[in-house]
Amino acid sequence: MTAVEPRADSDAVPDRDLALTVNGRRRRVRVEDRQLLVDVLRDNLGMTGTHIGCAGGDCGACTVRMDGQITKSCLVLAASAEGADITTIEGYSPRGTLDHVQQAFWDLDAFQCGFCLPGHLFAVRDLLDRDPDPGEDDIREALRGNLCRCTGYVNLVAAAGEAARREREDQER
Amino acid sequence: MIRTRLRYHRPDRPDDAAALLAEHHGRVAVLAGGSQLLPRMNRGETDVDHVVDLRGLGLRGIERTGGRVRLGAMVTYEDAIASPLLADAVPLLPRVARGVTGGRQLTGHATLVGALCHAFPGTDMPGALSALGATVELHGPSGPRSVPVSEFLLGAQEIDRRAGEFVAAVTVDGVARSGYCKVKHATGSWPIATASAVDDGDALTVTLGAVQARPLRIVIPDPTRAAVDDAVAAAVTAPWTDVLAPGDYRARIAPVVARRALTELREGARA
Repeated sequence: MTAVEPRADSDAVPDRDLALTVNGRRRRVRVEDRQLLVDVLRDNLGMTGTHIGCAGGDCGACTVRMDGQITKSCLVLAASAEGADITTIEGYSPRGTLDHVQQAFWDLDAFQCGFCLPGHLFAVRDLLDRDPDPGEDDIREALRGNLCRCTGYVNLVAAAGEAARREREDQER
Repeated sequence: MIRTRLRYHRPDRPDDAAALLAEHHGRVAVLAGGSQLLPRMNRGETDVDHVVDLRGLGLRGIERTGGRVRLGAMVTYEDAIASPLLADAVPLLPRVARGVTGGRQLTGHATLVGALCHAFPGTDMPGALSALGATVELHGPSGPRSVPVSEFLLGAQEIDRRAGEFVAAVTVDGVARSGYCKVKHATGSWPIATASAVDDGDALTVTLGAVQARPLRIVIPDPTRAAVDDAVAAAVTAPWTDVLAPGDYRARIAPVVARRALTELREGARA
């Protein structure tokens, strides 16, 4: 009886060292080439505030900011993100504080279960950074990459508008 | 998660990309924005051992070339929306890009050329680029090769890309007068039917997308309602069926979608 020869490299999953800056901290992680950025953030770096909803680019729950641009981290192969500067929801605002968007979401009941919340916060933040006085249509357009399955969008849209109003008020002070 | 033993490659020269694609032919995918490829790999629908990422090749330019406009393979929808050159010379492309769903989290990465290469019938770019008479510029082991988009798109998810080749760019005609119409269930849905109306000075055409496996470019000699309806009805012979809509529905709405695109061409986009 002959032993079954292991196929060369048959079990080896290609991997690599990856350097990232995550929430201002330089990190080196060993990742498999096949890992998505969202999986590396959650499984390798413990940033579990980044959620996996659809893993297909539809729901937006995995949204992070990458090199200044909001990004669905399920649509990024981690290996392609070498050197990237990433902000997750854990680094969205300084520890222990809420920005106007977060506070308005809280005050206006803009979320229920909270699963989609990190993505919505990043999407609204991205809008207000570009447009301090968005209309309802602008807000709805900015949220089209994010799905909420609990509450609907009425309070979300209202909270985004309220956050914009409070930020403008702050600016005028 | 992706279950194959995937190896990631990021070449920084076109010839190296072509060599990798040739070496692993049949077990390799080209990665641009990733918005269609990675979900497919996640779901096990695309099963490859290698990906060749184009982002190291500097293919993100939008430039004039002779009388045409060239878009590199890494040009994203957001790039198209922000481009003064496209706004001026090919406004159809930013017009279409603004209607692509997924939010800025997706449209900042997803590429126009990538969408063309996936050749999924229920998407915007195959139809829009066909309307503009695009030429597809490939790069392969034996150098560059150019193909008209009408020959590049062979069928649903089928393109004329040979072993070792990748699409480096597309060039399109500068067309200032155009209109677009898209029918979809909701903001977040894929298109059920699209129409790009283009007046290039010589001819008025409507190109239907998502209605058949390949885009349908229809010359409109007479833009009256009855004539458009007849021309479209005659052209739609094998309408596409998917989970969003059966073929007979697409065939039924195609003339309306065509007319709305022509109206937008004539009157400008509705506010």
